[in-house]
Amino acid sequence: MTDGVKRYHPAFIAVELVSFLKGSIGFFLFLFILKATSTATWVIWGRYLFLIASVCTIFSIILKWYFHRYEIVGNSIVVYEGVYVKKQRSVALDRIHNQVSNATFVHRWFGLTSLTLETGTSGENARFNFPVITEKEKQQILLTLERREVSIEAVEEGKSSKRTIHFHSTKKDLVKASFTSLSFLAIFPLLTAVYFNLADFFQIEETAENALDYLLIHWWMLIVLFVLALALSVGIGFIKTSVKYGNYVISDDSERIYIEKGIGNFISFSIPKHRVQAVIVEQSILKRLLGLASIKLLSAGDDKGQETSSLYPFMPKHEAYRILQIMLPHYHIEENMNRFPFKVLWLKLIQPYYLTILVIIGLMIFKREWLWVAAIVFGLSILSRILDYWFTSYIRHGKTVQIRKGGFTNETFVTHRERIQQITVKHSWLQRKFGVATLVFTNKAKPLHESELYGVSKEEAGNFYNWYHTRSAS
Amino acid sequence: MYINIEEPTETISNDAMKVWRMSNTIGHLSAILIIAVLVLCSEKFGWYGWIGIVLYFLSGLFVVSAIFSIFIEPTYLQNTWRYNINQQFVQLKHGKWQEKHTLIPMEKVEYVRTEQGPIMRRYGLYNIEIGTTASNHIIPAIPSEEAKKLKAQIAVYAKLKDEDLAEGEKGA
Repeated sequence: MTDGVKRYHPAFIAVELVSFLKGSIGFFLFLFILKATSTATWVIWGRYLFLIASVCTIFSIILKWYFHRYEIVGNSIVVYEGVYVKKQRSVALDRIHNQVSNATFVHRWFGLTSLTLETGTSGENARFNFPVITEKEKQQILLTLERREVSIEAVEEGKSSKRTIHFHSTKKDLVKASFTSLSFLAIFPLLTAVYFNLADFFQIEETAENALDYLLIHWWMLIVLFVLALALSVGIGFIKTSVKYGNYVISDDSERIYIEKGIGNFISFSIPKHRVQAVIVEQSILKRLLGLASIKLLSAGDDKGQETSSLYPFMPKHEAYRILQIMLPHYHIEENMNRFPFKVLWLKLIQPYYLTILVIIGLMIFKREWLWVAAIVFGLSILSRILDYWFTSYIRHGKTVQIRKGGFTNETFVTHRERIQQITVKHSWLQRKFGVATLVFTNKAKPLHESELYGVSKEEAGNFYNWYHTRSAS
Repeated sequence: MYINIEEPTETISNDAMKVWRMSNTIGHLSAILIIAVLVLCSEKFGWYGWIGIVLYFLSGLFVVSAIFSIFIEPTYLQNTWRYNINQQFVQLKHGKWQEKHTLIPMEKVEYVRTEQGPIMRRYGLYNIEIGTTASNHIIPAIPSEEAKKLKAQIAVYAKLKDEDLAEGEKGA
């Protein structure tokens, strides 16, 4: 298995250069195009600094390519990094939780890809990134990885079965997705931004006002323009969505779940099934109306910002559930959940309204005549508390806990006893008067996923505690 | 007992109260001292009027919080702190108005350490810090002999469990 120390493909330089150009194009435009005629000292200095920085970066990219290497030794991967300060990191393969591979335009130009391995730890050394490797090298690394896992965990299962595809996005799915994601609305802020930027340079304020007057008189023209703009934005939205979610493929074998997506920028993600920490089902108001749902797999090496670990976010709900059921049969999502007893609503309503109080105090001091705003804030707080009560529910059966929270966007969270890192049961004086308690439990993720549930009856709180307590005895 | 669970029973040292009182007194005194200096400065150098108001308000807050955390809080914290450690779980409980029970499985414990400040040294006490994957928990004010024993014990229990960690779903 030892192939010796390997350097990255020379295209590393190209990839890094492109990403550097992407990052600095704004500065370049600003210094050399927008301020082309400027002779202000800071602009001239800026240009010199920019040039020096560029040269330095290009050199450091080349040096980086020269010095960065990696090696697979037995069951661990060793990465050598650093130009001046040398760094050597190694990780045992069985510590790796999931992997993401991302091929940008530049990568595909050279027939290459990138790979990121996530370990379950936190901190800057949590991930191992191979910015540029060939498809063959990637397969080799993954193969080493999978072989380890097969030999450790799946001996009793015999052979690992073949991959089955559960979902492949069609054009219809994409149209649906582009409407649901509301990306076509992005045109409006874009237009205003363009308008104000242009106005600054060309003083179009006056001409624009004249044009507006003209348009207001010929209102049909306004409508035509509006429709045109809308059509344009729908088109752009569709293209954006296709680039992001086109070719979405969800598949699995007995060990792992694979998610692949993207046109142009191709991203693939895979996670061993036994590393899934929890399943989250998310539905915004629009998705609820259209009967769609997005399912996320929570894993320890997963950043919250990334969308990679989610199953296709615009899948019909029953279809999503069906796929989930096939891939992860342990995670059964119960649809009928019970709300908390009605008294919990009163408990939620009689808690102090800190925000309202703050607003009242602030307005008293600074703007007395705006005091009515406080009433709106108060109304909204009451509404949000009622919604919060209405959509919060909880169910526990066997080894599974399922909670649902939300208001406008509602989120169902399902996890297992083994996956819960720790629990806390707490109750304040007021909660005791109402016979309820708060449950808190945490799941491994990045950052830690904490679920807090206010208003569980005290009997259930006790049962929950005991349920978690007796786990090892079972 | 409000919730029907098996509550932890081990208590922390009786000296905890004294330690907390002392350290809170020192902390609050120094904070109030700093504010007093700032107030003096603001009057002497004629800073903006609102700075003075904010400083007076802050000092008021600190006096209230000092009364609470020097005279009231240590007593009930010390009275309500309970813990229990066995092969499988670390169990913690504290608080009177807001009662808090925490349960940590041994196999999730990543490290354990003891720590001691100058005031605690006078009374021969240690804090025990138990760290899990991402959070940490402190059992305060344990007599030194017991603290060392506990630390060793937790280390052994956590280590023992490490072998079959394997994160697998044991037939869920």
